[in-house]
Amino acid sequence: MGKNSDYQNNKSILALDLGSRSVKIALQKKDSGIELYDYDTALFYDQFGEPSNSGFQIDFSKFGLNSKPLIKATGYGRNALNIADAEITPEIQAHAKGAIYQTGMSDFTLLDLGGQDSKIIWIEDSKIEDFFMNNRCAASAGRYLENMANTLGMGLEELSRYWENPEKLSATCAVFGESELVGKMAKGVSRERLAAGVNQQIVKKFAAKLDARPPQHLVLVGGVAMNQAITKLLAIKYQIRIIIPEYPQHNGVIGLFSENPMGGKE
Amino acid sequence: MGNIGITTTVPQEIIWASGNIPVDLNNIFIGSDKKTDLLERAYRDGYPRTMCPWISGIYGTVVEEFHVDRMVVVTQGDCSNTHALAETLQDKGVEIIPFAFPYDSDVGLLEGEMRHLAQTLGAEWSYILDCYERLRPSRELAWKLDELTWKKNLVSGWENHLWLLQTSDFIGKAEKYLENIKDALEEVRTRKPFDQKVRLGYIGVPPIFSDLYDDIENSGGRVVFNEVQRQFSIPYPVDDFVDAYAKYTYPASVFKRIKDIKEQIEVRNIHGIVHYVQNFCFRQIEDLLFRKYLGVPILTIEGENSFELDERIRIRLDSFIKMLEDKIE
Repeated sequence: MGKNSDYQNNKSILALDLGSRSVKIALQKKDSGIELYDYDTALFYDQFGEPSNSGFQIDFSKFGLNSKPLIKATGYGRNALNIADAEITPEIQAHAKGAIYQTGMSDFTLLDLGGQDSKIIWIEDSKIEDFFMNNRCAASAGRYLENMANTLGMGLEELSRYWENPEKLSATCAVFGESELVGKMAKGVSRERLAAGVNQQIVKKFAAKLDARPPQHLVLVGGVAMNQAITKLLAIKYQIRIIIPEYPQHNGVIGLFSENPMGGKE
Repeated sequence: MGNIGITTTVPQEIIWASGNIPVDLNNIFIGSDKKTDLLERAYRDGYPRTMCPWISGIYGTVVEEFHVDRMVVVTQGDCSNTHALAETLQDKGVEIIPFAFPYDSDVGLLEGEMRHLAQTLGAEWSYILDCYERLRPSRELAWKLDELTWKKNLVSGWENHLWLLQTSDFIGKAEKYLENIKDALEEVRTRKPFDQKVRLGYIGVPPIFSDLYDDIENSGGRVVFNEVQRQFSIPYPVDDFVDAYAKYTYPASVFKRIKDIKEQIEVRNIHGIVHYVQNFCFRQIEDLLFRKYLGVPILTIEGENSFELDERIRIRLDSFIKMLEDKIE
């Protein structure tokens, strides 16, 4: 566990990244190491507190805390439902910092593929040089992969195994993509090739933005980082090793600490 | 004699000189309490829901809330959706008068179009030139207010947006506009300057959101340049009426806009650009050229048919302003 200047007034720290699919939590208790948790978003709001006039009041006892911790938050839900008394960090900044902590690198391209949001952050000299975030639709994010895996009658884990000989697909829409897959299956295209095609779509979607500044070092975080096929396809396309930090899904929440909570290189 | 609707800035002097009053239908739509109903009316009549809400909104406005007998419709220099807007309104009995801005800003062609419009509306050329002179003091004060926005930091982004936007028709009451802006200038001069560190330029069509500028200011930034709104004021102090409109960038090639924006980035010391695009608008393609040529960070945000910012856009704005703040330090 790294020492932390946030760890002031003898308080524990509860950091939250409120995503569209899950709430990622890093808890640093006064006298123990850091603990990482992951809850379904709806479940979190249902079971871990209640709304109040000053925002969503977290029930700290659920985390085994006797007193109120220092609360830090980022993510999609941070404006929609303010967490009471939380110190807020915009999520681009949280992710950049998380990746800097986790990789110990200062110059790289960060690709965060989440459930609904996807972002590319260009980091130079440990500062954000520029960023891109998909606009209002979840095309080519985790939700797209989930829907396509369902349509192909396989789990996400199986989907992530196929990268060879991808079938060319046109839709990246999480809804229209289904009818395209069904049509192709009816024509006899194998599920494996279709799964590879789905993975390829993710890479293609971001290629235009990534190609503008071809990555020398590409760090992949977010739930989609678990998809080995996408990692493979990215590595082939850019002829580089794709760096996946130890906690890709908790990258944002790790970035909420003012010093590296994982105790790694900085 | 009466109101003549317009769908974007046109040489309004011609309308004034014909004894009519120009009414910018965009402003009527966005100022309406029933904006959502006006959009719904368009959808009910068969407008696709994927259509730009400015187009659908103007249709709904004319059919439902603010009838005009005649409209000057820009058939070149704005989007082609305008053509279908004009046709569906013509079907509702509105007389459509086309006006085309030459793509290459050719002065001869532009004068031909202007004279043709003058003839259609029965406006005398000498009286048109007189109207141009009579509107000049109002324009000059709008430019002054714009200058106080970036030079003295006395005007908010939203105020800058509104005062410049209104120059497309001078709210149909040119004298009233002049009076109002004089008062506004007097008031802003007594203010304490805004102190947000991050200076932003806003480019693209005016936003459908009413809370964009406030949100930016609450996040530590301020819009000190509203590109298209400024263009609506024909910001060129030249004596020649045709020449002034030939300089107007909005209806011309995007490269003409880029040149103007680059100059203003320099003059106004702008740290980053917010590029607003409307959903399904051809101007989304032009984003890649702005990114290529403007030389400062750009955040592109897309408006749909909601009149308030959503969380996704707020998150982007927050992060963008924070990123620029860190760069300035």
